[in-house]
Amino acid sequence: MSRVAIVGIGHSKFGRRNDVNVAELAFESIKQAVEDAGVDRKDIGNVVVGSAGGWYEESLPAVVVNEYAGLSSVGTMRVEAACASGSAAVKTAYSSILSGECDVAMAVGVEKMTEVDTLTSVELIGRAGSYTWEFENYGMTFPAYYALYAVAHMNRFGTTEEDMARVAVKAHHYGSMNPLAQFQKEITIEKAMGSQVVSWPLKLYDACPLTDGSAAVILASEEAAKKLTDTPIWIRGVGYSSDSANLSRRGDYVGLAASVEAGRRAYAMAKVSPEMIDVADCHDCFTIAELMAYEDLGFCKKGEGAKLVREGQTEVGGRIPVNLDGGLKAKGHPIGATGVSMAVEITKQLRGEAGARQAPIRHGVGLVHNVGGTGHYAYVTILSRG
Amino acid sequence: MPDQPVLHSRRSLTLRFDIPISKTQEFWAALKEGRFVTTKCARCGKVTFPPQADCPNCMASEFTWTELGREATLVTFTYVQITPASFVDSDPYIIAIGEFPGGTKVLAWLEGTKLEEAKPGMKLRVEARSSKEGSPYYVFVAA
Repeated sequence: MSRVAIVGIGHSKFGRRNDVNVAELAFESIKQAVEDAGVDRKDIGNVVVGSAGGWYEESLPAVVVNEYAGLSSVGTMRVEAACASGSAAVKTAYSSILSGECDVAMAVGVEKMTEVDTLTSVELIGRAGSYTWEFENYGMTFPAYYALYAVAHMNRFGTTEEDMARVAVKAHHYGSMNPLAQFQKEITIEKAMGSQVVSWPLKLYDACPLTDGSAAVILASEEAAKKLTDTPIWIRGVGYSSDSANLSRRGDYVGLAASVEAGRRAYAMAKVSPEMIDVADCHDCFTIAELMAYEDLGFCKKGEGAKLVREGQTEVGGRIPVNLDGGLKAKGHPIGATGVSMAVEITKQLRGEAGARQAPIRHGVGLVHNVGGTGHYAYVTILSRG
Repeated sequence: MPDQPVLHSRRSLTLRFDIPISKTQEFWAALKEGRFVTTKCARCGKVTFPPQADCPNCMASEFTWTELGREATLVTFTYVQITPASFVDSDPYIIAIGEFPGGTKVLAWLEGTKLEEAKPGMKLRVEARSSKEGSPYYVFVAA
Protein backbone atom coordinates (compact mmCIF):
# COMPACT_ATOMS: atom_id res chain seq x y z
CA MET A 1 0.00 0.00 0.00
CA SER A 2 1.24 3.51 -0.73
CA ARG A 3 2.11 5.68 2.23
CA VAL A 4 0.89 9.02 3.58
CA ALA A 5 2.93 11.40 5.73
CA ILE A 6 2.39 14.45 7.88
CA VAL A 7 4.52 17.16 6.26
CA GLY A 8 3.31 20.30 8.01
CA ILE A 9 1.91 21.22 11.42
CA GLY A 10 0.28 24.26 12.99
CA HIS A 11 -1.16 24.92 16.45
CA SER A 12 -2.78 27.98 18.03
CA LYS A 13 -2.53 29.09 21.61
CA PHE A 14 -5.28 27.26 23.51
CA GLY A 15 -7.44 28.97 26.12
CA ARG A 16 -10.20 31.55 26.32
CA ARG A 17 -9.60 33.19 22.96
CA ASN A 18 -12.11 36.01 22.80
CA ASP A 19 -9.61 38.00 20.74
CA VAL A 20 -10.45 35.96 17.62
CA ASN A 21 -13.47 34.54 15.81
CA VAL A 22 -13.55 30.96 14.50
CA ALA A 23 -12.00 31.78 11.11
CA GLU A 24 -9.25 33.92 12.62
CA LEU A 25 -8.49 31.19 15.13
CA ALA A 26 -8.27 28.47 12.45
CA PHE A 27 -6.08 30.75 10.32
CA GLU A 28 -3.39 30.80 13.01
CA SER A 29 -2.88 27.05 12.58
CA ILE A 30 -3.43 26.91 8.83
CA LYS A 31 -0.79 29.58 8.19
CA GLN A 32 1.79 27.77 10.35
CA ALA A 33 1.03 24.41 8.73
CA VAL A 34 1.26 25.78 5.18
CA GLU A 35 4.58 27.47 6.00
CA ASP A 36 5.90 24.42 7.84
CA ALA A 37 5.10 22.18 4.87
CA GLY A 38 6.37 24.71 2.33
CA VAL A 39 3.36 23.88 0.21
CA ASP A 40 1.52 26.12 -2.23
CA ARG A 41 -2.14 26.46 -1.18
CA LYS A 42 -3.28 25.71 -4.75
CA ASP A 43 -1.73 22.24 -4.41
CA ILE A 44 -3.99 21.35 -1.46
CA GLY A 45 -6.73 19.17 -2.93
CA ASN A 46 -8.91 18.66 0.14
CA VAL A 47 -9.47 20.53 3.40
CA VAL A 48 -11.30 18.55 6.07
CA VAL A 49 -12.50 20.61 9.02
CA GLY A 50 -13.13 18.88 12.35
CA SER A 51 -15.53 20.87 14.51
CA ALA A 52 -18.41 19.82 16.72
CA GLY A 53 -19.97 23.29 16.58
CA GLY A 54 -23.14 24.62 18.12
CA TRP A 55 -21.42 26.98 20.59
CA TYR A 56 -20.23 29.56 18.10
CA GLU A 57 -22.11 31.65 15.56
CA GLU A 58 -21.17 29.96 12.29
CA SER A 59 -23.12 26.92 11.06
CA LEU A 60 -20.79 26.12 8.16
CA PRO A 61 -17.30 26.37 9.65
CA ALA A 62 -15.51 24.65 6.75
CA VAL A 63 -16.37 27.28 4.14
CA VAL A 64 -15.99 30.17 6.59
CA VAL A 65 -12.51 28.95 7.56
CA ASN A 66 -11.47 28.28 3.96
CA GLU A 67 -12.71 31.64 2.68
CA TYR A 68 -10.69 33.46 5.34
CA ALA A 69 -7.55 31.50 4.43
CA GLY A 70 -7.91 32.02 0.67
CA LEU A 71 -8.92 28.42 -0.02
CA SER A 72 -12.39 29.10 -1.41
CA SER A 73 -12.56 26.65 -4.32
CA VAL A 74 -11.00 23.68 -2.52
CA GLY A 75 -12.86 20.40 -2.00
CA THR A 76 -14.01 20.47 1.60
CA MET A 77 -16.31 19.17 4.31
CA ARG A 78 -16.86 19.50 8.04
CA VAL A 79 -16.70 16.17 9.90
CA GLU A 80 -18.11 15.33 13.33
CA ALA A 81 -17.11 12.56 15.71
CA ALA A 82 -17.73 14.57 18.90
CA CYS A 83 -14.43 15.06 20.76
CA ALA A 84 -12.74 12.85 18.14
CA SER A 85 -13.77 15.13 15.26
CA GLY A 86 -10.12 16.16 14.84
CA SER A 87 -8.95 12.57 14.38
CA ALA A 88 -11.88 11.97 12.04
CA ALA A 89 -10.65 14.95 9.99
CA VAL A 90 -7.10 13.51 9.88
CA LYS A 91 -8.47 10.11 8.89
CA THR A 92 -10.65 11.59 6.14
CA ALA A 93 -7.78 13.67 4.72
CA TYR A 94 -5.56 10.56 4.88
CA SER A 95 -8.13 8.47 3.01
CA SER A 96 -8.51 11.09 0.28
CA ILE A 97 -4.78 10.79 -0.47
CA LEU A 98 -4.72 6.99 -0.24
CA SER A 99 -7.62 6.78 -2.67
CA GLY A 100 -5.68 8.85 -5.19
CA GLU A 101 -8.12 11.78 -5.12
CA CYS A 102 -5.33 14.21 -4.27
CA ASP A 103 -1.63 14.33 -3.36
CA VAL A 104 -1.87 16.90 -0.59
CA ALA A 105 -4.70 17.38 1.93
CA MET A 106 -5.14 19.35 5.12
CA ALA A 107 -6.99 18.49 8.31
CA VAL A 108 -8.01 21.50 10.39
CA GLY A 109 -9.52 21.20 13.85
CA VAL A 110 -11.16 24.23 15.37
CA GLU A 111 -13.56 24.97 18.21
CA LYS A 112 -14.77 28.08 19.98
CA MET A 113 -16.48 27.03 23.20
CA THR A 114 -16.48 30.23 25.22
CA GLU A 115 -18.75 32.43 23.10
CA VAL A 116 -21.75 31.05 25.03
CA ASP A 117 -22.04 30.98 28.82
CA THR A 118 -20.48 28.07 30.69
CA LEU A 119 -23.71 26.29 31.68
CA THR A 120 -24.92 26.37 28.07
CA SER A 121 -21.66 24.66 27.06
CA VAL A 122 -22.20 22.13 29.87
CA GLU A 123 -25.70 21.53 28.49
CA LEU A 124 -24.56 21.08 24.88
CA ILE A 125 -21.89 18.55 25.87
CA GLY A 126 -24.32 16.82 28.26
CA ARG A 127 -26.66 16.20 25.34
CA ALA A 128 -23.87 14.19 23.66
CA GLY A 129 -25.32 10.76 24.29
CA SER A 130 -28.94 9.70 23.86
CA TYR A 131 -31.02 12.85 24.37
CA THR A 132 -34.47 11.44 25.10
CA TRP A 133 -33.37 8.72 27.50
CA GLU A 134 -30.44 10.37 29.26
CA PHE A 135 -30.81 14.14 29.08
CA GLU A 136 -34.49 15.12 28.84
CA ASN A 137 -35.45 13.79 32.25
CA TYR A 138 -32.11 13.21 33.96
CA GLY A 139 -29.80 16.08 32.99
CA MET A 140 -26.70 14.05 32.23
CA THR A 141 -23.51 16.08 32.01
CA PHE A 142 -20.21 15.14 30.44
CA PRO A 143 -18.52 14.75 33.83
CA ALA A 144 -21.47 12.58 34.92
CA TYR A 145 -20.91 10.15 32.04
CA TYR A 146 -17.28 9.63 33.00
CA ALA A 147 -18.09 9.61 36.71
CA LEU A 148 -20.24 6.50 36.08
CA TYR A 149 -17.08 4.87 34.72
CA ALA A 150 -14.94 6.20 37.59
CA VAL A 151 -17.23 4.72 40.26
CA ALA A 152 -17.29 1.34 38.51
CA HIS A 153 -13.49 1.36 38.09
CA MET A 154 -12.97 2.29 41.77
CA ASN A 155 -15.40 -0.42 42.83
CA ARG A 156 -13.85 -3.13 40.65
CA PHE A 157 -10.12 -2.37 40.86
CA GLY A 158 -9.65 -0.22 43.95
CA THR A 159 -8.64 2.86 41.94
CA THR A 160 -8.79 5.90 44.24
CA GLU A 161 -9.58 9.59 43.96
CA GLU A 162 -5.91 10.20 44.75
CA ASP A 163 -4.85 8.06 41.78
CA MET A 164 -7.00 10.23 39.56
CA ALA A 165 -5.47 13.37 41.12
CA ARG A 166 -2.01 12.05 40.17
CA VAL A 167 -3.05 12.13 36.51
CA ALA A 168 -4.03 15.80 36.89
CA VAL A 169 -0.74 16.66 38.62
CA LYS A 170 1.20 15.03 35.77
CA ALA A 171 -0.86 16.88 33.16
CA HIS A 172 -0.27 20.25 34.81
CA HIS A 173 3.44 19.49 35.20
CA TYR A 174 3.87 19.02 31.45
CA GLY A 175 1.36 21.76 30.65
CA SER A 176 3.65 24.16 32.53
CA MET A 177 6.29 23.46 29.85
CA ASN A 178 3.94 23.97 26.90
CA PRO A 179 3.58 27.65 25.97
CA LEU A 180 0.46 26.83 23.91
CA ALA A 181 -1.36 25.17 26.86
CA GLN A 182 -4.38 26.77 28.53
CA PHE A 183 -2.97 26.13 32.03
CA GLN A 184 0.75 26.51 32.64
CA LYS A 185 0.82 26.10 36.40
CA GLU A 186 1.90 23.10 38.45
CA ILE A 187 -0.66 21.78 40.93
CA THR A 188 -0.42 19.43 43.91
CA ILE A 189 -2.39 16.31 44.79
CA GLU A 190 -3.84 18.23 47.76
CA LYS A 191 -5.06 21.05 45.52
CA ALA A 192 -6.64 18.59 43.08
CA MET A 193 -8.27 16.58 45.89
CA GLY A 194 -9.61 19.74 47.51
CA SER A 195 -11.22 21.17 44.38
CA GLN A 196 -14.97 21.48 43.94
CA VAL A 197 -16.96 18.32 43.23
CA VAL A 198 -18.45 18.52 39.73
CA SER A 199 -19.98 15.06 39.48
CA TRP A 200 -18.80 12.83 42.31
CA PRO A 201 -16.19 11.37 42.42
CA LEU A 202 -14.91 13.75 39.72
CA LYS A 203 -13.79 17.18 40.85
CA LEU A 204 -12.85 20.33 39.00
CA TYR A 205 -9.22 19.18 38.70
CA ASP A 206 -10.30 15.83 37.25
CA ALA A 207 -11.91 17.65 34.33
CA CYS A 208 -10.57 19.28 31.20
CA PRO A 209 -11.59 22.93 30.74
CA LEU A 210 -13.76 24.56 28.07
CA THR A 211 -11.31 25.77 25.45
CA ASP A 212 -11.00 27.77 22.25
CA GLY A 213 -8.29 26.55 19.94
CA SER A 214 -7.22 25.26 16.55
CA ALA A 215 -4.65 22.93 15.04
CA ALA A 216 -3.81 21.86 11.50
CA VAL A 217 -1.79 19.15 9.78
CA ILE A 218 -0.90 18.85 6.11
CA LEU A 219 -0.71 15.33 4.72
CA ALA A 220 1.00 14.24 1.53
CA SER A 221 1.39 11.15 -0.61
CA GLU A 222 4.77 9.41 -0.45
CA GLU A 223 5.91 11.03 -3.68
CA ALA A 224 4.77 14.52 -2.66
CA ALA A 225 6.10 14.13 0.88
CA LYS A 226 9.61 13.31 -0.32
CA LYS A 227 9.65 16.50 -2.42
CA LEU A 228 8.34 18.65 0.45
CA THR A 229 10.33 17.52 3.50
CA ASP A 230 13.30 15.57 4.85
CA THR A 231 11.39 14.72 8.03
CA PRO A 232 8.09 13.15 6.99
CA ILE A 233 6.16 11.53 9.82
CA TRP A 234 4.33 8.57 8.37
CA ILE A 235 0.80 7.52 9.25
CA ARG A 236 1.36 3.82 9.81
CA GLY A 237 -1.94 2.74 11.29
CA VAL A 238 -5.46 4.10 11.62
CA GLY A 239 -8.14 2.33 13.63
CA TYR A 240 -11.56 3.61 14.50
CA SER A 241 -14.59 2.18 16.20
CA SER A 242 -17.74 3.19 18.09
CA ASP A 243 -20.14 2.11 20.81
CA SER A 244 -23.80 2.57 21.80
CA ALA A 245 -25.26 6.05 22.19
CA ASN A 246 -27.07 4.95 25.38
CA LEU A 247 -24.68 4.19 28.22
CA SER A 248 -27.20 1.68 29.57
CA ARG A 249 -26.47 -0.55 26.56
CA ARG A 250 -22.78 -0.93 27.40
CA GLY A 251 -21.44 -4.23 28.72
CA ASP A 252 -19.48 -2.70 31.61
CA TYR A 253 -18.15 0.63 32.86
CA VAL A 254 -14.48 -0.05 33.51
CA GLY A 255 -13.11 0.59 30.02
CA LEU A 256 -14.12 1.84 26.59
CA ALA A 257 -14.79 -0.99 24.13
CA ALA A 258 -14.43 1.44 21.21
CA SER A 259 -10.88 2.32 22.36
CA VAL A 260 -9.91 -1.34 22.63
CA GLU A 261 -11.20 -2.07 19.13
CA ALA A 262 -9.73 1.08 17.54
CA GLY A 263 -6.37 0.25 19.13
CA ARG A 264 -6.49 -3.35 17.95
CA ARG A 265 -7.17 -2.23 14.38
CA ALA A 266 -4.43 0.44 14.41
CA TYR A 267 -1.79 -1.87 15.93
CA ALA A 268 -2.62 -4.56 13.36
CA MET A 269 -2.40 -2.15 10.44
CA ALA A 270 0.87 -0.62 11.66
CA LYS A 271 2.25 -4.04 12.65
CA VAL A 272 3.45 -2.70 16.01
CA SER A 273 2.77 -3.75 19.60
CA PRO A 274 2.13 -1.43 22.55
CA GLU A 275 5.69 -2.06 23.80
CA MET A 276 7.04 -0.29 20.70
CA ILE A 277 5.26 3.01 21.38
CA ASP A 278 7.82 5.64 22.46
CA VAL A 279 5.33 8.38 23.28
CA ALA A 280 1.56 8.74 23.26
CA ASP A 281 -1.16 11.34 23.48
CA CYS A 282 -4.18 9.74 25.16
CA HIS A 283 -7.66 11.15 25.57
CA ASP A 284 -7.78 12.51 29.12
CA CYS A 285 -10.97 14.60 29.04
CA PHE A 286 -11.21 13.36 32.64
CA THR A 287 -8.46 11.82 34.73
CA ILE A 288 -10.28 8.46 34.84
CA ALA A 289 -10.28 8.47 31.03
CA GLU A 290 -6.47 8.50 30.95
CA LEU A 291 -6.27 5.56 33.38
CA MET A 292 -8.75 3.58 31.28
CA ALA A 293 -6.81 4.50 28.10
CA TYR A 294 -3.61 2.93 29.52
CA GLU A 295 -5.54 -0.29 29.99
CA ASP A 296 -7.62 -0.18 26.80
CA LEU A 297 -4.52 0.44 24.65
CA GLY A 298 -2.46 -2.33 26.28
CA PHE A 299 0.08 -0.08 28.06
CA CYS A 300 -0.71 -2.19 31.15
CA LYS A 301 -3.10 -4.95 32.17
CA LYS A 302 -6.79 -4.28 32.82
CA GLY A 303 -7.18 -2.72 36.25
CA GLU A 304 -3.54 -1.63 36.56
CA GLY A 305 -3.86 1.89 35.14
CA ALA A 306 -3.60 3.46 38.58
CA LYS A 307 -0.43 1.45 39.32
CA LEU A 308 1.15 2.78 36.12
CA VAL A 309 0.63 6.41 37.12
CA ARG A 310 1.63 5.76 40.77
CA GLU A 311 4.96 4.34 39.53
CA GLY A 312 5.54 7.31 37.21
CA GLN A 313 5.68 4.99 34.20
CA THR A 314 3.81 7.49 32.02
CA GLU A 315 6.24 10.34 32.65
CA VAL A 316 9.48 11.07 30.77
CA GLY A 317 11.88 8.37 31.94
CA GLY A 318 9.06 5.88 32.47
CA ARG A 319 7.98 2.99 30.28
CA ILE A 320 5.67 5.04 28.09
CA PRO A 321 5.40 8.81 28.45
CA VAL A 322 1.81 10.01 27.95
CA ASN A 323 0.47 13.52 27.30
CA LEU A 324 3.71 15.48 27.41
CA ASP A 325 1.83 18.45 25.95
CA GLY A 326 -0.27 18.69 29.13
CA GLY A 327 -3.09 16.56 27.77
CA LEU A 328 -6.66 17.75 27.47
CA LYS A 329 -6.54 18.46 31.19
CA ALA A 330 -3.92 21.24 31.10
CA LYS A 331 -3.43 22.00 27.41
CA GLY A 332 -7.21 22.37 27.04
CA HIS A 333 -9.84 20.56 25.00
CA PRO A 334 -11.29 22.54 22.09
CA ILE A 335 -13.46 19.59 21.03
CA GLY A 336 -12.88 19.48 17.25
CA ALA A 337 -9.28 20.67 17.47
CA THR A 338 -8.09 18.08 19.99
CA GLY A 339 -7.39 15.14 17.66
CA VAL A 340 -5.43 17.35 15.28
CA SER A 341 -3.56 18.90 18.21
CA MET A 342 -2.58 15.40 19.34
CA ALA A 343 -1.24 14.59 15.85
CA VAL A 344 0.74 17.86 15.96
CA GLU A 345 2.25 16.95 19.35
CA ILE A 346 3.25 13.42 18.36
CA THR A 347 4.73 14.75 15.10
CA LYS A 348 6.80 17.24 17.14
CA GLN A 349 7.92 14.44 19.47
CA LEU A 350 8.94 12.15 16.61
CA ARG A 351 10.74 15.00 14.84
CA GLY A 352 12.60 15.70 18.11
CA GLU A 353 11.18 19.23 18.29
CA ALA A 354 9.41 19.04 21.67
CA GLY A 355 12.12 20.87 23.62
CA ALA A 356 12.00 20.54 27.41
CA ARG A 357 9.23 17.96 27.27
CA GLN A 358 10.86 15.75 24.62
CA ALA A 359 10.43 12.00 25.14
CA PRO A 360 13.32 9.68 24.34
CA ILE A 361 12.61 8.18 20.91
CA ARG A 362 13.82 4.56 20.56
CA HIS A 363 11.61 2.82 18.02
CA GLY A 364 10.48 6.00 16.28
CA VAL A 365 6.82 5.21 16.89
CA GLY A 366 4.13 7.36 18.54
CA LEU A 367 0.42 6.95 19.15
CA VAL A 368 -2.60 9.25 19.15
CA HIS A 369 -5.72 8.10 21.02
CA ASN A 370 -8.76 10.32 20.62
CA VAL A 371 -12.19 9.50 22.08
CA GLY A 372 -15.46 11.10 21.04
CA GLY A 373 -18.13 11.45 23.71
CA THR A 374 -17.92 8.76 26.38
CA GLY A 375 -16.38 6.12 24.17
CA HIS A 376 -19.09 6.77 21.61
CA TYR A 377 -16.34 7.13 19.03
CA ALA A 378 -12.67 6.18 19.29
CA TYR A 379 -9.79 6.81 16.89
CA VAL A 380 -6.24 5.52 17.25
CA THR A 381 -3.56 6.77 14.87
CA ILE A 382 -0.02 5.38 14.87
CA LEU A 383 2.74 7.61 13.52
CA SER A 384 6.37 6.79 12.81
CA ARG A 385 9.62 8.27 11.59
CA GLY A 386 10.42 5.49 9.18
CA MET B 1 -6.19 36.74 28.22
CA PRO B 2 -7.67 40.15 29.16
CA ASP B 3 -11.21 40.99 28.11
CA GLN B 4 -11.45 41.82 24.44
CA PRO B 5 -14.09 43.80 22.54
CA VAL B 6 -16.88 41.48 21.32
CA LEU B 7 -20.02 41.86 19.21
CA HIS B 8 -22.74 40.70 21.61
CA SER B 9 -25.15 39.11 19.12
CA ARG B 10 -28.74 40.42 19.27
CA ARG B 11 -30.23 37.34 17.55
CA SER B 12 -30.89 34.73 20.21
CA LEU B 13 -31.97 31.21 19.32
CA THR B 14 -34.25 29.01 21.43
CA LEU B 15 -34.46 25.38 20.37
CA ARG B 16 -37.34 23.20 21.48
CA PHE B 17 -37.87 19.88 19.73
CA ASP B 18 -41.08 17.95 19.03
CA ILE B 19 -39.68 14.44 19.36
CA PRO B 20 -41.80 11.72 17.71
CA ILE B 21 -42.74 8.92 20.10
CA SER B 22 -45.53 7.24 18.13
CA LYS B 23 -43.69 3.91 17.87
CA THR B 24 -42.96 3.66 21.57
CA GLN B 25 -45.90 5.50 23.15
CA GLU B 26 -47.01 2.27 24.86
CA PHE B 27 -43.95 2.61 27.09
CA TRP B 28 -45.10 6.01 28.35
CA ALA B 29 -48.74 4.89 28.62
CA ALA B 30 -47.74 1.80 30.66
CA LEU B 31 -45.52 3.95 32.86
CA LYS B 32 -48.52 6.14 33.73
CA GLU B 33 -50.25 2.94 34.91
CA GLY B 34 -47.19 2.04 36.99
CA ARG B 35 -45.92 -0.73 34.69
CA PHE B 36 -42.30 -0.74 33.45
CA VAL B 37 -42.20 -2.36 30.01
CA THR B 38 -39.96 -2.50 26.96
CA THR B 39 -39.90 -4.02 23.49
CA LYS B 40 -39.24 -7.67 22.72
CA CYS B 41 -38.60 -8.73 19.12
CA ALA B 42 -41.32 -11.10 17.86
CA ARG B 43 -38.83 -12.88 15.61
CA CYS B 44 -35.57 -13.33 17.57
CA GLY B 45 -36.81 -12.55 21.08
CA LYS B 46 -34.25 -9.82 21.82
CA VAL B 47 -35.32 -7.51 24.64
CA THR B 48 -34.20 -3.92 24.04
CA PHE B 49 -34.09 -0.90 26.34
CA PRO B 50 -34.67 1.93 25.58
CA PRO B 51 -37.64 0.44 23.69
CA GLN B 52 -37.40 0.46 19.90
CA ALA B 53 -39.86 -0.79 17.30
CA ASP B 54 -37.20 -2.14 14.97
CA CYS B 55 -34.95 -4.91 16.29
CA PRO B 56 -31.24 -3.97 16.31
CA ASN B 57 -30.38 -7.68 16.36
CA CYS B 58 -32.36 -9.08 13.38
CA MET B 59 -34.00 -5.94 11.91
CA ALA B 60 -37.53 -7.34 12.26
CA SER B 61 -40.21 -4.70 12.85
CA GLU B 62 -42.69 -6.94 14.69
CA PHE B 63 -42.48 -6.81 18.46
CA THR B 64 -44.37 -7.26 21.70
CA TRP B 65 -44.21 -5.37 24.98
CA THR B 66 -42.65 -7.21 27.89
CA GLU B 67 -42.49 -6.36 31.61
CA LEU B 68 -38.99 -5.62 32.89
CA GLY B 69 -40.22 -6.00 36.46
CA ARG B 70 -39.58 -3.54 39.29
CA GLU B 71 -36.41 -4.79 40.99
CA ALA B 72 -32.91 -3.93 39.75
CA THR B 73 -29.34 -3.93 41.08
CA LEU B 74 -27.19 -0.80 41.18
CA VAL B 75 -24.27 -1.11 38.73
CA THR B 76 -22.77 2.37 38.97
CA PHE B 77 -23.80 5.92 39.89
CA THR B 78 -22.70 9.54 40.20
CA TYR B 79 -23.84 12.61 42.12
CA VAL B 80 -24.27 15.57 39.76
CA GLN B 81 -23.42 18.75 41.61
CA ILE B 82 -22.87 21.07 38.62
CA THR B 83 -26.08 20.80 36.59
CA PRO B 84 -26.70 21.91 32.97
CA ALA B 85 -28.32 25.27 32.09
CA SER B 86 -31.80 23.76 31.67
CA PHE B 87 -31.56 22.01 35.10
CA VAL B 88 -30.50 25.05 37.13
CA ASP B 89 -33.72 24.85 39.15
CA SER B 90 -33.03 21.21 40.13
CA ASP B 91 -31.27 20.23 43.31
CA PRO B 92 -28.15 18.11 42.73
CA TYR B 93 -29.13 14.56 41.82
CA ILE B 94 -27.79 11.02 41.78
CA ILE B 95 -27.81 9.31 38.38
CA ALA B 96 -27.67 5.51 38.53
CA ILE B 97 -27.49 2.61 36.12
CA GLY B 98 -29.53 -0.34 37.37
CA GLU B 99 -29.52 -3.86 35.96
CA PHE B 100 -32.75 -5.90 35.80
CA PRO B 101 -32.88 -9.70 35.99
CA GLY B 102 -32.07 -10.86 32.47
CA GLY B 103 -29.39 -8.22 32.06
CA THR B 104 -31.31 -5.21 30.71
CA LYS B 105 -29.83 -1.99 32.10
CA VAL B 106 -31.60 1.35 32.66
CA LEU B 107 -30.27 4.83 33.49
CA ALA B 108 -32.35 7.03 35.80
CA TRP B 109 -32.19 9.23 38.88
CA LEU B 110 -31.78 7.47 42.21
CA GLU B 111 -34.13 9.32 44.55
CA GLY B 112 -34.20 9.37 48.34
CA THR B 113 -30.70 7.94 48.81
CA LYS B 114 -27.78 9.96 50.14
CA LEU B 115 -24.48 9.85 48.22
CA GLU B 116 -22.71 8.08 51.09
CA GLU B 117 -25.42 5.38 51.17
CA ALA B 118 -25.19 4.54 47.45
CA LYS B 119 -23.19 1.37 46.74
CA PRO B 120 -22.80 -0.78 43.65
CA GLY B 121 -24.72 -4.00 44.29
CA MET B 122 -27.51 -2.38 46.32
CA LYS B 123 -31.08 -3.35 45.46
CA LEU B 124 -33.24 -0.82 43.64
CA ARG B 125 -36.89 -0.50 42.73
CA VAL B 126 -38.11 1.46 39.70
CA GLU B 127 -41.02 3.87 40.26
CA ALA B 128 -43.05 6.12 37.97
CA ARG B 129 -43.03 9.88 38.44
CA SER B 130 -44.67 12.80 36.73
CA SER B 131 -43.00 16.13 35.97
CA LYS B 132 -44.52 19.50 36.92
CA GLU B 133 -45.74 19.73 33.31
CA GLY B 134 -47.37 16.28 33.56
CA SER B 135 -44.77 14.31 31.57
CA PRO B 136 -44.16 10.80 32.87
CA TYR B 137 -40.65 9.64 33.79
CA TYR B 138 -39.16 6.96 36.02
CA VAL B 139 -36.71 6.88 38.89
CA PHE B 140 -34.95 4.32 41.05
CA VAL B 141 -35.39 4.21 44.82
CA ALA B 142 -33.62 1.96 47.31
CA ALA B 143 -35.56 -1.32 47.60
